Amino acid sequence: MMEEEKVISGFNPALLRRLLQFVAPHKWKAIIAVAALLVATAGELGIPIVIQRTVDEYLVRSYVRISEAGAESADLDSLRLDDADIRIDGQIYVNTSRLVDVTGLERERLTEAGILSEEQFFVVGLNDARVQGIVTRYDELFTGSADYASIRSSDLSRIEPDDRRSLRAPDIDGITRMALFFLIVLVAVLSLSFTQVYLLALTGQGIMKDMRLTLFKHVTHQSLDYLNRNPVGKMVTRVTNDVETINELFQNVLSNLIRDMARMIGVVIALFILSRRLGTVTLLTLPPVVVAFAFFRVRAREAFRNVRVWVSRVNTFLNEHLSGMGVVQMFVTERRAAERFEQDNEALMKANLGEMYVMATFRPLVDLLSNVSIAVIIYFGASFFSRGLVSLGIVIAYINYVRLFYQPVMSISEQFTILQSAMAGGERVFQILDEKDEIADTGTGTLPQPVRGEVVFDNVVFAYKPGEIVIRNLSFRIAAGETVAVVGYTGAGKTTIANLLTRMWDIQEGSIRIDGTDIRSVPLAQLRTTVQPIQQDVFLFNETVSENIRLGADFSDERIRDVSRIVQAEKFITQLPEGFDSVLNEGATNISTGQRQLLSFARVLAHDPRIIIMDEATANIDTETEQLIQKAMLKLMEGRTSLVIAHRLSTIRHADRILVLSHGQLVEQGTHDELISHKGLYYNLYRLQYQDEPTSG
Amino acid sequence: MLKEFRTLLPFVRKYRRMYIFGIFWLLVTSGGQLLIPQFIRIAIDMIAEGAVDLSSVAELMGWLLLTAVLIAAGRFGWRYYIHGASRRIEKELRDKLFNHLLSLSGSFYNRTRIGDLMARATNDMNAIRMASGMALVALTDGLLMSAAILTIIFIQNPALALIVILPLPLITFLVLFLGKLVGQLFRSVQEGFSTLSEQAQESLAGIRVIKSFVKEDYFANRFRDANDEYQTRNMRLIRIWGMFFPLVTFLSGLTSLLLLRFGGVAVVVGEISAGDFVQTLSYLEMMIWPMLGMGFTVNLLQRGGASLSRVNQILQEEPDITSPINGIRTPIHGSIEIRNLSYQYSDTEDEALRNIDLTVPAGSILGILGRTGSGKSTLIKLLPRLIDPPRGTIFLDGRDIHDYDLSWLRLQFAIVAQDNFLFSQTIRDNIGFGMSVSDDERILHVADVSTISRDIENFPAGWDTQVGERGITLSGGQKQRVSISRALATDHGILIFDDALSAVDTETEERILDQLLKERAGKTSIIISHRVSTLKTADHIAVIEHGRIVQHGTHTELLEDEDGFYAEIAALQRLESAGDLKS
Repeated sequence: MMEEEKVISGFNPALLRRLLQFVAPHKWKAIIAVAALLVATAGELGIPIVIQRTVDEYLVRSYVRISEAGAESADLDSLRLDDADIRIDGQIYVNTSRLVDVTGLERERLTEAGILSEEQFFVVGLNDARVQGIVTRYDELFTGSADYASIRSSDLSRIEPDDRRSLRAPDIDGITRMALFFLIVLVAVLSLSFTQVYLLALTGQGIMKDMRLTLFKHVTHQSLDYLNRNPVGKMVTRVTNDVETINELFQNVLSNLIRDMARMIGVVIALFILSRRLGTVTLLTLPPVVVAFAFFRVRAREAFRNVRVWVSRVNTFLNEHLSGMGVVQMFVTERRAAERFEQDNEALMKANLGEMYVMATFRPLVDLLSNVSIAVIIYFGASFFSRGLVSLGIVIAYINYVRLFYQPVMSISEQFTILQSAMAGGERVFQILDEKDEIADTGTGTLPQPVRGEVVFDNVVFAYKPGEIVIRNLSFRIAAGETVAVVGYTGAGKTTIANLLTRMWDIQEGSIRIDGTDIRSVPLAQLRTTVQPIQQDVFLFNETVSENIRLGADFSDERIRDVSRIVQAEKFITQLPEGFDSVLNEGATNISTGQRQLLSFARVLAHDPRIIIMDEATANIDTETEQLIQKAMLKLMEGRTSLVIAHRLSTIRHADRILVLSHGQLVEQGTHDELISHKGLYYNLYRLQYQDEPTSG
Repeated sequence: MLKEFRTLLPFVRKYRRMYIFGIFWLLVTSGGQLLIPQFIRIAIDMIAEGAVDLSSVAELMGWLLLTAVLIAAGRFGWRYYIHGASRRIEKELRDKLFNHLLSLSGSFYNRTRIGDLMARATNDMNAIRMASGMALVALTDGLLMSAAILTIIFIQNPALALIVILPLPLITFLVLFLGKLVGQLFRSVQEGFSTLSEQAQESLAGIRVIKSFVKEDYFANRFRDANDEYQTRNMRLIRIWGMFFPLVTFLSGLTSLLLLRFGGVAVVVGEISAGDFVQTLSYLEMMIWPMLGMGFTVNLLQRGGASLSRVNQILQEEPDITSPINGIRTPIHGSIEIRNLSYQYSDTEDEALRNIDLTVPAGSILGILGRTGSGKSTLIKLLPRLIDPPRGTIFLDGRDIHDYDLSWLRLQFAIVAQDNFLFSQTIRDNIGFGMSVSDDERILHVADVSTISRDIENFPAGWDTQVGERGITLSGGQKQRVSISRALATDHGILIFDDALSAVDTETEERILDQLLKERAGKTSIIISHRVSTLKTADHIAVIEHGRIVQHGTHTELLEDEDGFYAEIAALQRLESAGDLKS
C-alpha cells in the first residue's frame, strides 16, 4: 500500500496565519465581501419580522376596550395611555399588541374589575363616506362616535366581503406597503449576496493564483538534485490540487461558515427582541442540536477520513494494476487481482455506506429537533398568546426563525470537514515552500568580457550521494575555441562533467574555471548563458517549433529561420503542416528523433553560447538524418569551445583532442592517432565500440 | 441516451427490493412532511380565534411530534435503502469494469491513457451513482410533493394559489437553463485546470532545459498566463453559478411576498384564516426543494447517461487475445519451435521481427544477443501471447500456441521482463506475486538465488519492506533481482530472462547465473542479454539485429566466426573487463 497522505488536519492557527499572509493583498475585497454577507444575512433575518409586522399590524389588527373611568382609577402606566388614543363612548380602544407590556396578573385583575374588555374589537375611522355608509347599514354591529366606530372582531364575519374590503382599506394599503418593502429587502439581499459571492470568489481566486505562482517559482528554482528526488507528479499535485483545496477554503467554506454562524446568532438575537419569554423557552430547546452536532462532527470526520483512505487505496490499486497489466497477465494473476480489487472496493463501499449512515442519522435528527422546537413554540406561544404576552405574528415569526436556525446546522458540519482537508492541503503546500535546496546563486563577480571560453577543471571531486564518488581529482584544460571529445564506458562520469560545468550540481572539492574565473563566483544566469548543454534526450515543449527554438527570447523570425537553416532543420520544418508555427505535441512525437535533435541544435545556436557541451545521442537515427546531424554539429561547434560526450567515431575524429575517462578519472588524452598508437583504453574502446560504424563524416 | 442505462438494468433488478423499500420510506417522509403544516394551521387558527384551549394545543403538538418522528424514520429509511442500493451498484459496476479491463490486451493499453481509464472508474462512477440514486429520489420527491402541495393550496383558494406559485416554475427553469450553461463553463474551467497542470507538468519535466537556458522567468510567465486564464474561466463560471443560490432565495422570497400581499388581503377580507396563511407559507417553502430537485434530476440523468456511455465503451471493448474454447491444458515438456515468424505493430511501418526460425528443444537453454530495439523483447511477448503472433508460427511441444488454453499457456512461462514493474506491496508479496499458494520457504529460496536476500536482511523492515510505487524505494539492481525471484518463485516450465541482469555488477551476475543453472537444470530457458558472459552457458545462441536472426550457433561456434557480430562483442567485453581491472 502506498503511504496515505494526510487528508484531514486539526485546526492549526500557525497555518491559518500563514494563509492570511496571502489574503493581505486582497483584504479590501475580502472585507467588503464579508460586510455584504453580513448585511445580506441581516436582510434575510429581517424577512420574518416583515411578515410578523404585517400579520400583527394589518392582518389581525384588533383592539381591546378600556373604560375611561376605570383607566383613571387603576394604575395603567404600563399602557401609556394618552390623548391620541381612540375614544368612543367613554371607552378607550388600545391595540391588542400593546397589552404585551402588561403582566398577566395585572390583566386578570383589570378584566375582573370590568375595566379591560375580554373581547377584541376592530375600529374604523369615519372620515370616508363609504365607510360611513357601511357603518350606517350595519348600525346594530357598530358603536360609534364622531370620528370612529368600533365593532367586535367576531362580528366582522357578518359583514359582506366587499364591504369588509372597504372597511379594511387602510389595512390592505398597509399590506401593500409592507409587500413593497419586502420586495426591496429581497432585491437588496439578492444583489448583496451576489456581490459577496463574486468578491469572495475573486479573493479566493486571487489568493490561489498568487500561491500557485509562488509555489511554481519556488519549485523551479530548486536544485536538480532536489527535483530528481521529488517525483514530478507529486509536485504538480501540490501546485494544482492542493492549492485548489485552499481555494475551496476561501471561496466556500469561510463564507458559508460566516453566514451560518451569523444566521444562527442573528436568529437567537431576533427571538429575544421579539419576545424575551418565548425566546427563553425556544432557546431551551436548542441545546440538543448542539450536543448532536458535537457528537456527529466527530463521527462524520472519522467517516470522511475512512472514505478518503479507501478512495486513495482503490485508486492506487487501479492505477498500479492498469499500468502493470502486462505483469498481471504474464503471471496469470488476473483472478487474484480481481479478488483483491473486490475486497478493496467492498471496503470502499462500506466506508461510503458508513459515511452515509452518519449523514442519514444526523440530517433527520436535526430535522426532528427542529420540529420539536416548533411544537414547543406553538404550545408556549398559544399559552403566552392567551395571556396576551405575545402576538400571533410573533408566533408565526418564531416558526420561521426556528427553520432558519436549523438550516445551517447541517451545512456547518460539512464545512468543518472541508476546512480540515483544506488545512491538510495547506500544510502540504507550506511544507514544499519550507524546503529550500537551491544552488546558491551568490556569485557577484563577472566573467571577463568578452568571454573567450577557456575551461579548466582543477582537481575536481564530486559525488551525487555522499560516499559514492563519481568524479575523482579530475583535472583538464580546454583552450578557447577548442573541440574536445570525452569518451569512456557508461558510468565513467562523462555526463556528470556537463552537470558540473553548468552548476546543475556543485562540486565538493577543487575548482572549475572559465577564463580563469571560478564559476561559483559569477551569477548563475551569466554562467548558464555562457555554457549551454545539448542533452541526449531532447526535451521539447508542447509549443510551436519557433517557440521551442526561441524559448521566450526576443529573436527575430529571420534569426530563427537562419539558425534552422544552418543546422539543416529548415527543410523538415517547412514541410510540417504549419511550418515554423506547427505545434509539437507532447513528447514531440510528431517529429522523428533525429529531427528533435536538429531542433535542439537550432535552439542552442539561436542562444549563441560561448561554450557548448554536447551529449551525443546514442539512439538509432535513420542514415539520412544522421548525416544532417553530423553536418549540423560541425556548424554548431564552429568558433566555440565545445565539449562533446561522444558516441560516434566521426564526432571523435573531428575533435581536436580526446579525453578518455574511466571511473571519474582522466586516464588518457591526445589526438585520435596518438591514442591509437598508445594502445591503451581508447584503443580498446575504439576497436570495439566505434570501428564497425560506417564513417559517414 | 436511455439505452445507455440498459447496463444498469441487471443491477437495478438485483436491488429492486431496496428500491421498493426506499421509495416506500420516501412516500412516508413526503406524506409526513405534508401533514406538519396542517398541524401548524390548526394550531394557529386556535390561537387566532382567541380563547385557546391549551390541552388541545398540547394534543395537537403531540401528533405533530409523532409525525416528526415518523418523518425522521422515513428520512433515514429512504437514505438507507436508496443510497445503499446506488452505492452497491457503483461497487459492482466498478468490479465489472475492472474485471473486464483484466481481459483486455496490451494493444488496448497502448492506445488508452491510464488517466482516462481512471477517470472512468472514479468520476464517471460517481455520476452514475448519482443518476441511479439521487436522481430517483429527486424525481419521485419532486413530482409527488409538488403535486400534493399544489392540490392542497389550490383546493384552499384557487385564485390565491395561482398567483403565489408563479415564481416556482422559474426555479426549475433556472436549474435547467443555468445547468446547461454552468455545465459548459465548468468544462471550460476543467480544461483550464488541465492546461495549468500540463504547464506545471511540462515545466518540471523539462526543468533541465529551462535551467540550462536560464528560462525560469519565461516559464514562470507562461505558467502565470495559464494561471490567469484559469482564474478568468473560474470567474466566468462564478458570474453565472454565483447567481444561482441568491436567485433561488430571491424566487422563493418572491412566493412569500406574493402570499403576503394577496394572501394577506384574503385574510383581511375573510376568505382564508390566519392559519391558512401560515400553512401556505410553510407549504410554499416546502416546494422549493422539489422544484430544484426536478431541475437537478434532468442534469443528473444527462450526466449519468454520458458517464455510462463512457463506461459502456470500455465494457463493449472485445478482448483481442482470447482463449480458444476447450483449449489444451496438458502438461508440457517445453520444446519451442518458431517457424518463419514476422510481426509488425499496428502503429509502426517497419516489421519488428522478420522471418524468424528457431528451435528450442525441451530442457535446453537458448541465448539471444541483440541491441536495444532489435526486436528481442517483441519475441518474448509473443511466446505467452501477450501480443498475438499469426497462427502457425509458434509451437509449444509441437502444437500451435493458439490451441492452448490462454491461462494455461501463460502459466508455462516464468518471465523476467526488462521493465521490472513491481507493485507497491512488501518485498515478500512482490516475490510471491505469481505463486498460486504463498510458500515462505520457496520465497526464501528464490530470494537466495537472485541474491536479493542479502539486501533484504539489511532493510530495517526486512521482508515486509514496502517497495513503494513501482518499486521506487529499491535500486535498479534490487528491482531486477526481486523480479528474478518473482519469476523463479512460480516454478513455471519455461524461464525467460529478458536482459534481466543489466543493472547488477559482473560478480553478482556470475553468482546469480551459477545458482540459476543449478536451479533450472533440465528445464527450458531463454536468456536474452547484451553480455556475452551471460550467454556463454547457453546451448544455442541466436544473434538478432533489426528484427532478423543474423547469426546462430553455440558460443564456441560463434566465436570462431571472427568477423561476426558475436565475436566482436565478446572481444569488446573481454577488453572492457580488462579496462576495469586496469583503472
